[in-house]
Amino acid sequence: MRNRFAIGLLLVFLMSVMVPGAGAQAGTIKIGVPVPLSGGTAKMGTDIVQAATMAADEQNAKGGVLGRKLEIVSFDDACDAQQAVTAAHKLVDAGVAAVAGGYCSSAAIPASAVYHDAGVAFVADASSNPKLTDQGFENVFRVIGRDDQQGPYAAGFMTKDLHAKKVAIIHDNTLYAKGLATATQDALKKMMGVQVVFFDAITPGEKDFSAALTKVKSLKPDVTYFTGYYPEGGLICKQFKDLGVSGKLMAGDANNDPTFIKECGAASTGVYVTSTPLPQDQATAKSFISRYTGRWKQDPGPYSALEYDSVGVVINAIQRAKSADRAAIIKALHATNAYSGATGKITFDQKGDRKQVLYITYLIKGDKFVPTGM
Amino acid sequence: MEIALQQLVNGLTVGAFYALIALGYTMVYGIIRLINFAHGDVYAVGAFLGLSTYGLLAILHVDNPILTTLLALVVSMGFTGLLGTLLYRVAYRPLLHARLSILISAIGGSLTLEYGLLLIYSPSFLVYPHLFGRSGPAFAGVTVSWLQVLIFVSSIVLMAALYLMVNRTKTGMAMRALAINQDAARLMGIDVNRVISFTFFLGSALASFAGVLTGLYYSQVSFLMGFLIGLKAFTAAVLGGVGNIPGAVVGGFVLGILESLAAGYYSSRWKDVVAFAVLIIVLVVRPRGLLGERVVERM
Amino acid sequence: MKAGPGALRPLLPTALAVVAVLAAIALPVFGSSYLIDVGTLVLVYVMLGLGLNIVVGFAGLLDLGYAAFFAIGAYTTAYFMVNSHMSFWLTLPIAACFTAVSGVIIGAPTLRMRSDYLAIVTLGFGEIVRIAATNFAFTGGPEGIYDMPHATIGSLVLRTPAALYFLGIAFALVVLVGSYNLSRSRLGRAWLAIREDEAAAQAAGIHPVYFKLLAYVLGAIFAGAAGSFFAVKLTAINPSSFTFIQSVTILMVIILGGRGSLPGVIVGAAVIVVLPEVLRAFDQIRMLTFGIGLIVMMLLRPQGLWPSRYGRIEAREVALSEAEAAAGVAAGASAADSAAPGGSS
Repeated sequence: MRNRFAIGLLLVFLMSVMVPGAGAQAGTIKIGVPVPLSGGTAKMGTDIVQAATMAADEQNAKGGVLGRKLEIVSFDDACDAQQAVTAAHKLVDAGVAAVAGGYCSSAAIPASAVYHDAGVAFVADASSNPKLTDQGFENVFRVIGRDDQQGPYAAGFMTKDLHAKKVAIIHDNTLYAKGLATATQDALKKMMGVQVVFFDAITPGEKDFSAALTKVKSLKPDVTYFTGYYPEGGLICKQFKDLGVSGKLMAGDANNDPTFIKECGAASTGVYVTSTPLPQDQATAKSFISRYTGRWKQDPGPYSALEYDSVGVVINAIQRAKSADRAAIIKALHATNAYSGATGKITFDQKGDRKQVLYITYLIKGDKFVPTGM
Repeated sequence: MEIALQQLVNGLTVGAFYALIALGYTMVYGIIRLINFAHGDVYAVGAFLGLSTYGLLAILHVDNPILTTLLALVVSMGFTGLLGTLLYRVAYRPLLHARLSILISAIGGSLTLEYGLLLIYSPSFLVYPHLFGRSGPAFAGVTVSWLQVLIFVSSIVLMAALYLMVNRTKTGMAMRALAINQDAARLMGIDVNRVISFTFFLGSALASFAGVLTGLYYSQVSFLMGFLIGLKAFTAAVLGGVGNIPGAVVGGFVLGILESLAAGYYSSRWKDVVAFAVLIIVLVVRPRGLLGERVVERM
Repeated sequence: MKAGPGALRPLLPTALAVVAVLAAIALPVFGSSYLIDVGTLVLVYVMLGLGLNIVVGFAGLLDLGYAAFFAIGAYTTAYFMVNSHMSFWLTLPIAACFTAVSGVIIGAPTLRMRSDYLAIVTLGFGEIVRIAATNFAFTGGPEGIYDMPHATIGSLVLRTPAALYFLGIAFALVVLVGSYNLSRSRLGRAWLAIREDEAAAQAAGIHPVYFKLLAYVLGAIFAGAAGSFFAVKLTAINPSSFTFIQSVTILMVIILGGRGSLPGVIVGAAVIVVLPEVLRAFDQIRMLTFGIGLIVMMLLRPQGLWPSRYGRIEAREVALSEAEAAAGVAAGASAADSAAPGGSS
C-alpha cells in the first residue's frame, strides 16, 4: 500500500515531464528569454520579460516578422549556473530561433555554452562580465557595456572630476561586482599618485555593513566606489552617511534604481552613480518609456530598455536574413549596423560586444538621478 | 580607540538582532528539538506586517511616529505570534516524533512563507518609512543613533522579561519541564500542546519585534531577508548553548561583535569564515556552548 | 491483508524497477536535450543522495554542510583539468583523496559531539568552504573555473547531453552498487547498530567514533565523485552551486525518499529535480507550491516515499512486542505509549 502511493506519485511526475512543450503554436517565431523569476533578483526578471513581451507584441501588431507572429518564451534561471543550463536546454528544445535576455553573468556564462552547442544566437541584455564574450563563441552578443569598459571610465571620473587620491572599492563577491571592482582597481593602479586604500567585499543579503564602513572611515578615502547591486547599495549609502565616512560615495550601474534613493533617504543626495544613460536621458528612449508605462502601469526597470533592444536587434536580424534559421540569424546579427534602438545606435564588434558604449555619471539630487559628467 | 569603540557599537547593534531571533530558535529547540528553519522567515513576515501597519496608519492619518511605531510593533507581534502557532499546529505537530521529516517540513514552511511574501507583497525590496533621524548621543567620535540605543535597550528589556517569565511563572515552569522530559510533563498534567504553541507564539513575536526594528533601522525589507540572518541567529543560539535563554543572548552579542571585529580588523570577505571557525573551535573545546545547554540528550 | 495484496507487494517494486530502468535507457533515445539534461541532474542528485545517505541514513549523523564535499570534488577536477591539462579520469582519484582528507579533518574532532551539534559544525564547514572558494584566487573567485575541456574516452569527446547522461549513468551505477554492498556488509550493520542505539552498539564491541568517521569519509568520497561529474558536465563551475541551500536540497533527497533506503534515494532525487521542473508552468508561484508540497508530502508520508526495509522490520517488531505487551498486561496503553515506534528517534 505504501509503495503504491510512491509509485503513483512518481508516474505522475514522469508523465508530466514527458508531455512535450505544451502550448507550442506552429508557425510562430520563438524568442527565448531566460531570466531570474525566483530569488532575490526576481524583480529584474519580471521587468525584462515585460520589455521583451512588449517588443514582440508591437512587432506582431505591425504584422509580425516574415509574415509570422513572434512569441516570447521565458524560463526561470534563478541566477544559478545549474538552473540556467537546464533552462537553456529547455529553450533550445522549445525551438527558439534566438535567445535575448539573461540577467546574472554567473548564469549567462554556463548557459552560453549550451546555446553555442545548439547554434542559437544569444543576445545578452544585462550581463556585463567580460568573460561572456571573451569565451570566443560566435553566437554571443551583448547590448550592455562590459565591466572593463565601465571600470576605466569610473576610474577616470573619480580622478579627473573628483580629484581623488585615495580610493576605497567595495564589491560583493558576485561575478559582476568583482569584475567591475577589479577593472576599476586595475585602471587606478595605472594612474600616478592614486592609491587604492581599501578593496574588500561585503556579503549580499546582509543588512549591516557598518563594520566594513568603519574600517573605510579610518582610511579617510576621497572616494568610495561600491560596485555591487542596489539592495546593498542603498544600505551602504545610508550607513556611509550615518557613520560620517569622509569623501564622496560612488556606485556602479547596478545602483541606478529609484529604490536606491528610497532606501537611503535624504542621505543619498550627493552620491554619484556611473552608468549607461538611463532611458529617460536618451532622446531615443522617450517613446519607449511612455509606451512601457502605459502598458505595464509601472516605470521601466534599469534593464527594460536594454532588453527591448535585445529583442529588437534579433527581430531586425531576422528581417535582414529573411529567415528564422538559427545560423542565418547569427550571421545577420554580426552584420548589425547602427540599429537604432531605445538605448541608441547598436553595432557589434567582432567579439559580439557593443561598439561605442556611452557611460555617464549621475549625481543624486533630491530624489532624482541628474546627469553630470560624460 | 574610537574605531574599536565604533566597531563595538556596530557589533552590539547586529548582535541585538541576532539575539532576538536566536531566542526563538533556542526556545523551540529546547522544547521539541527542532531546528525551525522557518524561523528566519517568520521574522521577515513580522517586518512586512509592521510595514503594512504603518501603511494603514498613514491612510488613517495617524502620524505620530512614536504612536505608529508602538502600534506597528503590537500588531505585528500579535499576528506574527499567531502565525508561528499556526505553523506549529499545521506543519510540525503531526511530525513531532519524526525528527528528520519535521526538518523537511520546516524547510517547506520556510519556502512557503518566503514565496507567500513575494506574491502578497513584492519580488523587489520595499522601503520602510524614515521615521527616526540619524541624531544620537555622540561621544569620543563614536556615532550612535537614538534608534540604536532604542534597539539595544528594548531588546535587553524584552530578553530580561522573557528570562523572568521562564524562570518565575507557572507557564515558564511548564516550558522548562517540557524541555527536560515531555512524557513526564504530560503525566504531571501539563497541556503539552498548549505550552508548545505558546512557545512558538513567544519566539515568533520576538522575531517580529526584531523584524520591525530592522525595517526602521535599515529601512529595507525583502521576502528573502530572513534567510541569512536566520542562519546566523541559529549559529548564535548554538554558540551560547542551545536551549539556554541567556546563552542565546550572549551568543547573539558575541557573534555580532566577532563579525564586526573580523570585518574591521581583518577582512569583510572573511568575516563569516572567522565566525564559523570560532563556532567550530568553541564547540570542540566546549561541546555544550559558551553557557552550557539546557537540553537533555534524547536520542 | 489477505493473500491478494500481500502477494502482489514484492512484485510492485520489481515492476517499478523494470519500468525505471527502461525509462532510463529510453530517455536519451526519445527525450529532448532538455529532458536528458533533467535526467542527468537527477543522476547527480542520486549520487549525492547515496553519499549523504551513508552519513545520515546509515550512520544517523545529521550533516548540513554536505555541499562542501561536492564543491571540493568539483573544484579539484576543474582545477586540474584546466591548469594541469589532466584528463578527467586522472582527476578522479585526486578528488577522492582530497574529499577523504577533508572528511577526516572535519570529522575527527567533531564526531564525539552529539549529532545536532555536528549538524551546526558541518553547516559552518560548508559555509567556510564556499566562502573560501569565493575569496581565493586559485579557485577563480566568484567567477569560478570555466572553459573546462570535456571528458574524453579515447578519441570520443563526451559533450552532447546524451553522452553526459551515459557518463552519469555509469557514475551513478558505481555509486549505487557501492552503496548496496556497504549496506549489506558488516560495516552497514555496524552503522545501523550505532544509529539505533549507540550505547548498545558500543557495549557490543563496535567502536562508534571509528565507524562514524568511516561513514563520513565514504560519504565525502561519493560527494566528491558527484562533484567531479558535475564539473565536467557544466564545464564551468562557480561557488553559487555549493550553497547551504544545496546541502539542504541533498538532505531533502534522502528524507523525502526515506532515509537509509537506496530506492528511496533514487525516488527522492527524481522528485527533488523533477518537481520544480514540472512546476515551471506555474512560474511565480513555483517555489510556493514546492514549499507547500514539501509540507504535505511529509505530513502524508513522514517516513519518506520509499522507506528503508530496516525501518519497516523495526516498526513491525515493535508493533509485535506491543501486541504481546497488550495481551500480557491488562493496562497495555501505558506500555504501548512508551514503546511507540519512532518515539525515541
